[in-house]
Amino acid sequence: MEQILATTLRSAAPLALVALAGVFAFRAGIFHLGLEGLMITGAFVSVAVGDATGSVAVAILAATAVCMALSVLFWLVIEPLRANVIIAGLGLTSIGLGGTAFALAAVYDTRGSIRTDIALPRPVRGVNEGFGVIFSELSLLVWITPLIVFLAWVTLRRSRFGLRLAAVGEYPFAARSVGINPSVMRLKALLIAGALCALGGAELSVGALSSFTENMTAGRGFIAFVAVIFGAWHPIGAALAGLFFGFAEAVGIQSQINISESVPREFVLMIPYVLTIFAVWLGGLRRRRSLEAEAGYAELREPD
Amino acid sequence: MARWRCPSTRKSEPIDHSVPGERLDESASPREWAVRCEGVSVNFGAVRALHNVCLALEQGRIHALVGQNGAGKTTLARVLAGLQMPDIGEVHILGRPIQGGNVRAAQAAGLAMVHQHFSLPPSFSVAEALELTATKGGGAPIYRRRELERRWLAEVAGSCNVSSLSTRIRDLPVETRQSLEIVRALASDARVLLLDEPTALLTPSATDSLFDRLQILRDTGVTVLVVLHKLREVAAIAETVSVLRDGEMALGPVETATTPQGLISDAIIGEGHYESADVAGQAVATGVGRRTHLLMEEVSSKDSAFERGLKNVNLRIDGGETVGIAGVEGNGQRSLVSAVAGLTRIEGGSIRIGESEAAASSPARRRMLGLRLVPFDRNTEGVSRSASLWLNQSALRLIGRRQGDSPIISTRRYREHARKALERWKVRYESVTQPAGSLSGGNIQRLILSRELSDGTEVLVAAQPTRGLDFAATEFVRRSLGELRSAGAGILLVSSDLDELFELSDRLLVMLGGEVVARFVPPYDRRAVGDAMTGARR
Repeated sequence: MEQILATTLRSAAPLALVALAGVFAFRAGIFHLGLEGLMITGAFVSVAVGDATGSVAVAILAATAVCMALSVLFWLVIEPLRANVIIAGLGLTSIGLGGTAFALAAVYDTRGSIRTDIALPRPVRGVNEGFGVIFSELSLLVWITPLIVFLAWVTLRRSRFGLRLAAVGEYPFAARSVGINPSVMRLKALLIAGALCALGGAELSVGALSSFTENMTAGRGFIAFVAVIFGAWHPIGAALAGLFFGFAEAVGIQSQINISESVPREFVLMIPYVLTIFAVWLGGLRRRRSLEAEAGYAELREPD
Repeated sequence: MARWRCPSTRKSEPIDHSVPGERLDESASPREWAVRCEGVSVNFGAVRALHNVCLALEQGRIHALVGQNGAGKTTLARVLAGLQMPDIGEVHILGRPIQGGNVRAAQAAGLAMVHQHFSLPPSFSVAEALELTATKGGGAPIYRRRELERRWLAEVAGSCNVSSLSTRIRDLPVETRQSLEIVRALASDARVLLLDEPTALLTPSATDSLFDRLQILRDTGVTVLVVLHKLREVAAIAETVSVLRDGEMALGPVETATTPQGLISDAIIGEGHYESADVAGQAVATGVGRRTHLLMEEVSSKDSAFERGLKNVNLRIDGGETVGIAGVEGNGQRSLVSAVAGLTRIEGGSIRIGESEAAASSPARRRMLGLRLVPFDRNTEGVSRSASLWLNQSALRLIGRRQGDSPIISTRRYREHARKALERWKVRYESVTQPAGSLSGGNIQRLILSRELSDGTEVLVAAQPTRGLDFAATEFVRRSLGELRSAGAGILLVSSDLDELFELSDRLLVMLGGEVVARFVPPYDRRAVGDAMTGARR
């Protein structure tokens, strides 16, 4: 039981962080399918730079910088060059997955995985017995994730910046009519999203495992994207959805260990993905309702 | 600033200003012009939206800007508001030059704009929407919701009927949304208020109260420039009027009080006068003698999200006859059109089109039987805005393939056909491959008519066919309906314009709460019809 709680928190933190990234992008009107690519880039860069410099702080900063740079590239493609957002996002994911696998081979001359000695600090190290023992496994990033969620909520829902971002995403004409440049706002949102993806990836590699494995994100970027929709594009909703998917993952991992051989292993591994499909269906139901509510407004809209 | 003249010289003056309309006494204005633009031109690709427009407006008055659909009114308004970058030309607001395409500079100079399509995001609460659009710094970058609502309450109170500032924009009625737009425009201490077709969506009484507000604003020294469609409204509110035609300044500004309306309408229409399409030649006159083209018996349908369903509606339309449907909006007119067109399933009753029972038929089958439809919303129901003109024009022929037609679509033939049809209907377009959404409202309506009135029309359902059109386009549509009727088709005309119904209808039915509550024949008694519409008893 304690084990499931610990695994849930550890699995949920990267999902929640990347889901927040998705929320920032979504608020600006961008369907960000490059989350997976940014996440794995963050995971790889933090291991590689951490290994080279020996400093976990430098590793995180480097991962953030690289992911933000990739986000600028993404922005250049979709805004000034007007490419299709979905295609460009999937391209970004391919760059991340392929690029990290390539870098793994080029730098470490290996396929598969690398280990490193550095790890994120674990704040509650001292506890050795009782209930607290499970928390000693959690990295600093897991602990501050709720704080990041709160900051994201303030930024998106209680700040002028958040209002402008929402206007850009929902109704660009409203933004333009008060002199806001939608393109610049989207760049800002993507930069924030890039940084959040880097943190999510870093938690996955130097936070939980101190290693990097090829394709270690295993679709978590896409699950996080689903969490965005499931969480109704609200930062707290998305974070809770991330927590839910983290729980599903934890159940999958635990039952791999515990459940007898009567249930096939593959079936149990399926659980988080089946739950994802279920979540998409639920999200679709709600979306249909809100679309009907908006139909009355549709005729007033300026075609963009 | 003794006398201001447009620096460019026009070669041909389309209207001689000097005769009946009195030119503004320019020397009498010692102050800066509220709005002044010189030689403004805007091109969208090959389309000329504005050409060498010069305009100077005095402070503290109400000015009107009129013109046909597509004459460039909205483009000019957007140039003034800094939303549209002019290709060449200068804009000054209260004497300050505005760099093209800079909204904030226009705001800083004192101009605020109320857009034709409202500019408040629908999912925002009232307080959030006002905060978003506020230009004066209200407070810290981070706010608390309650504090935000308290701050805006004072601005909204009195001028606008909003129960709570946490109401979402999309839940507000159109009039309230518009008052909010004005509130937000004035919250920035605007000295020049620009309204783009503010009356298009308003009921007559809401229009009156808007005009009252504008007059109060004028009395406090605000300059108002309002883009209008109807000359009646110009006469009611504006002190001066300027006319745009084909992107050029055709007239004005001239004083409304001393300028005859005929002069203004001539300036709007130009020398081309009214255009007319040769409908009679095309509509197939199936109705030899009087044959019933549409028969509805005891038709009932479910309530929709927007209005009441039908209750035991009986309706007969013969060939060569126009039946009008009057009623306050939302009393079942949409349900009626949907039931006839086959867009919703009816619960009981029968619908015959020509000789065939069609109550269970698909919309496509009804089309084959000779039903044609000019829908309520031409932009979303009448055309596919993203599809090309020729596809939109040939949609009916593409659906209803007749025997002997090749299953392979000859793009060239359809395009050629579309080109001819569009020319016959005087649609102004560049190429048949341009998207339908690039046309102006009046031209979209012509495109729809060119498709729906092509051939084999037995009965036409025309829902609000002239709403939002300028009067040349309105005249064109009405004339086309009249010609279709003479050619022997039956017409079901749904309109909220009583004058239009009186002019065109052979019989008039009034709908109230989904029922036909009264039937009239000419000569119509406006008061009796009005009573039936509102359910009033005297």
